[in-house]
Amino acid sequence: MSTSTQIGARAAVTPLGPRPGRRPGRRPVHAGRYAVMFPGLLFLAAFAIYPTIYSLVISLTKWRVTTGEEPRFVGLENYATLLADEAFWNSVRVTVVFVVFAVLIEFLLAFGLALLFFRNFPGDKVMRALILMPMLVAPVAVGLLARFSLEPTFGIVNQLLRAVGLPTTEFLGSPALALPTLIAIDVWQWTPFLFLILLAAMQGIPEEVIEASKLDGASWPRIIWHQFLPLLKYPILVGVLLRLIDSFRVYDIVFMTTRGGPVDATSTMSWQIYDVGFRSFTISYAAAYSWLLLILVLLVVNTLLRRMSSGTER
Amino acid sequence: MSTIAPRRRPRNGLTALRATIAGIITLLFIGPILWMITTAFKTGNQAFSTEIQWFFTPTLSNFERVLQGTSFGFALVNSLQVSIISSVVALLLASGIAYPIARFDFKGRSGLAGVILSLRIVPPIVTIIPLFLLLQSVGLNGSLTAIILLHIFMNLPLAVWLLRGFYEDVPKELEEAAQLDGLGHLSTFFRIVLPLAAPGVAATGLLCFVFSWNEFLFANILSNATSQTVTVSLTQYVTPVGTQWTQIMAAATLVALPVWLAALAAQKYLVRGLTLGAVK
Repeated sequence: MSTSTQIGARAAVTPLGPRPGRRPGRRPVHAGRYAVMFPGLLFLAAFAIYPTIYSLVISLTKWRVTTGEEPRFVGLENYATLLADEAFWNSVRVTVVFVVFAVLIEFLLAFGLALLFFRNFPGDKVMRALILMPMLVAPVAVGLLARFSLEPTFGIVNQLLRAVGLPTTEFLGSPALALPTLIAIDVWQWTPFLFLILLAAMQGIPEEVIEASKLDGASWPRIIWHQFLPLLKYPILVGVLLRLIDSFRVYDIVFMTTRGGPVDATSTMSWQIYDVGFRSFTISYAAAYSWLLLILVLLVVNTLLRRMSSGTER
Repeated sequence: MSTIAPRRRPRNGLTALRATIAGIITLLFIGPILWMITTAFKTGNQAFSTEIQWFFTPTLSNFERVLQGTSFGFALVNSLQVSIISSVVALLLASGIAYPIARFDFKGRSGLAGVILSLRIVPPIVTIIPLFLLLQSVGLNGSLTAIILLHIFMNLPLAVWLLRGFYEDVPKELEEAAQLDGLGHLSTFFRIVLPLAAPGVAATGLLCFVFSWNEFLFANILSNATSQTVTVSLTQYVTPVGTQWTQIMAAATLVALPVWLAALAAQKYLVRGLTLGAVK
């Protein structure tokens, strides 16, 4: 219906012909409007497009920067070596475990916490501001703080463990505990981030929606499941996506705490690429490695976006 | 009245319960930070006793030693330079992109905005490999300029998206009126739009500052001994010698403090800023 009226309207206009003095496609007045965009766009292009191509080219060569030799074209050899490399698959496993558990736990905790703070109580504003403090501390400093807190003899965590009669534990030095400990550190630092987003979104839900559900006799769990979750879908998606993107990069706290160890228990992809590229200086191998990381991140982000959008259509 | 009164009582009980639980959780989040700050004000003996000392006479000696005896003081100055310059340039470049996207209807503007946003997905370790080689070939490695350039690049997508939202919030009628009065596009922007969007622009600048200040990977790879930023300078404490922890915590506190202050100043826009404008 609407399209036919539009066509009709346009047909009614055409007999008048093109208006004099207004030539489409030739508007020199407006070109100046867009000139201001160029410095920024040029900057982005210089730092995004050219390096991307360059990185792809390097990844098809064999090149160690330290030896001073020229890069030699080897085709897909780096990628083939990577896919057969046990250290590569270990880093994928470590990264995926880290990302999945960290983001999942952060989301669940943040959602619960947001529900707790949803209705006012005395002191809630101050508490909310205090909870945000961890996420503002530089991850490098958080890494140091974690090492100090988990220190066996005078670290606060082990002091508290001993106070309740538990044995002293080497959290970061144990192959079994190192990765869960890194996840715990990430959860401590970044749950506040999702909490902040979810709380803001929850408090943006119109009160009438909740009142109407209550009048229908819905209980709080039902309201949360049937009203909150659908209404919060977009903020949840944004928050979780940002956390996913960031947790795939985990590097700072690894650098400051475990350096990939013990053995390779916490060797995330970002750490491993750094190690290969900037400590062994096999830059071409690192470039290929980083492309596989990028592909993994894009795959995960894409899958999530498609899942969420297909969910809304239904 | 009588029907409402009994209903309220359990609610108050529930509120008290929620406040208590919230208080305990808050303590879990700020506990380590409180410990960090108190340790920074302790002497070695106070910090390394087998029992936690809750009450002590604070000392500033850790801060003094951190700022005087080491490269940390220089790193603070470097970081201030890097963060301030990169934020200001990012704001300028981003405004140039964001304002036309916010105001003018042109073909492919949402596509352009999407492409810029998608840059945020790329992990920094992917970006740094080719850029390290490029910056090396032009002799910029080890300079503050290299770090500044990368921080501008890192913050541009965020700044474009935030500023776009803030410029859209400025009523269009005001600009049209200004243009009727004969103001050009540039003077309309600087005299009308910018003052009205100032709180948002300031918040965007503060967030850029925070991200630049906390950034580690780029700075770590690109800096040398003289161009260390604060986060890189903290790595000198990775293998602590003896009872250095009180100084380390003083340094960590000094790194965190400006960010807490910046966040406090931009509190109102924190959610919007951290979600690139997606959640207001």
